[in-house]
Amino acid sequence: MANVTNWIDHLSAEEVVGAVYPGAGSMEMTLVIIGIVLWLGWHVLTAKSESDELERLSRKRHGANDHKSNITDW
Amino acid sequence: MTDQLGALTTIFTEFYYWVTVVLMFLIHVGFCMYEVGASRYKHHQHTLMKNTMLIPLVTVTWFFFGWWIYWAFPTGPGIAPSIMNESTALITDESTFSARWYTAASEYMAINLGDHISGVFWAAFLLFSWTAASIVSGAIIERITTFAFGILAIAIGSCFWVIDAAWGWHFDGWMLKILGYHDAYASGVIHAIAGGFALGVLMVLGPRIGKFSSSGEPRNIGPRNPWLVTVGLFLIYTGFWGFYAACNIPIFDLGPEYGMEGVTYWTATNIYVTPTTLSGITFNFLMSLSGGLLAGYWIAKGDPFWTYSSGLAGIICASAGNDLYHPIQAMIIGMIGVVISYKLHYWVERKFKIDDAVGAVAVHGYAGFIGLVICGFVLNGYPSSGYSVGAMWDGTTYASINPLGQFLGAIIMFVVLGLIPGYVIAKVLHSMGKLRIPRDVEIAGLDYEMMESAKKDERAVSSATR
Repeated sequence: MANVTNWIDHLSAEEVVGAVYPGAGSMEMTLVIIGIVLWLGWHVLTAKSESDELERLSRKRHGANDHKSNITDW
Repeated sequence: MTDQLGALTTIFTEFYYWVTVVLMFLIHVGFCMYEVGASRYKHHQHTLMKNTMLIPLVTVTWFFFGWWIYWAFPTGPGIAPSIMNESTALITDESTFSARWYTAASEYMAINLGDHISGVFWAAFLLFSWTAASIVSGAIIERITTFAFGILAIAIGSCFWVIDAAWGWHFDGWMLKILGYHDAYASGVIHAIAGGFALGVLMVLGPRIGKFSSSGEPRNIGPRNPWLVTVGLFLIYTGFWGFYAACNIPIFDLGPEYGMEGVTYWTATNIYVTPTTLSGITFNFLMSLSGGLLAGYWIAKGDPFWTYSSGLAGIICASAGNDLYHPIQAMIIGMIGVVISYKLHYWVERKFKIDDAVGAVAVHGYAGFIGLVICGFVLNGYPSSGYSVGAMWDGTTYASINPLGQFLGAIIMFVVLGLIPGYVIAKVLHSMGKLRIPRDVEIAGLDYEMMESAKKDERAVSSATR
């Protein structure tokens, strides 16, 4: 994966290549696709857990001040 | 970089933007504190997490497509020709400022020894994106789902505000050429659009339970932790310094840029590459802040919540022309913006039953809109660009700043790219049943489950003697 193995050779080249990260020139699109899948997947996972939580809490029908009984020591 | 002076200029510019990014981070810290302070105890943790999670969501989408939009869309597309390639298409050619360098897969969107600026400039704009989304966040606390807010944050933070930035906050933007649009420190491109977007969402979302009486009279739900709100607003002021600096280009030779043969003129410029000074805008920042505070204290009869917010509204109102105003003009404009915004807030609340929990639509939306309109009169006739200046409506060159162009620009920001998209996206989310939390959850408190799950430990701790 290493794109640079010797800085002296790299910087003394006639044309210095700027992109020095692993996979430069070949991996970018793959990384973007992985990134987009992770981003969209996060929405799917968290939307589901939020819906479940809201539904569970909604069923309990607590009053506006019930939360105060959960705070026992200020 | 092989010559020392060129390297110094480049690395100074790189460091300059980097510092602005760090300073602007405080805006987000301030918004988080402000929102938590304004919300009720039973919603605190969800309120904080909602605003916090916009950071990663807007950041990754800004990387994937937001930054590309800024560079691709200055011509509309299809509205006015680019000064770079004379095309009205998307700017995706081989030129220096082409959007093709800013796709997520570009080698310049990473560590690149040949590019010291893209990352810090990307980040400076990203922090503006967080601000736009965070403005919306405050208005809708205590009743929106985190999922819906995430979608709305991405829409305003990585899509709509950056379209307006490409159109009206880019040296090649069509709004400069056709309308003579001028908005140096983002009265419109950040604040008016975000305020308009928030208003569109609020129209669909509805008020918090109990905000209005059965006869429709609004009730005050004041901040639950005024000190957190106070420190939050101070931090937003602090971050705003970085915002102002980030809107400038710190060092630039305008002679060759404008095609002036043999002329060398090094200066700071605004985002339109017209000259200003960091020193001059410091006058105006502080004087417009002061004008806002003075007017806010007077009109709100010393109410701290509105007085602090008015300081911000004062800056926002003067921001469009703060690269050129006299400091006393900036102060007066700040005062006018605050008085109109304050009155409009309560009028809209009573008339349309809009519950803007933190006054975000007023402080950002109305003040930004008014600031653009005032700028059109006060700076009437100034060039909107350093490049050629011609007649209004002539898309091949640049119109000068004028009242009608600024008014139309304000409509584009607040209504076309703000209110309408906010309303439509909120409607779609509402039709999916994903916009608003259930009524029983709103009454119980979003944090109820978290608090209940900790109750056993809490009780044990409170009864412990050793």
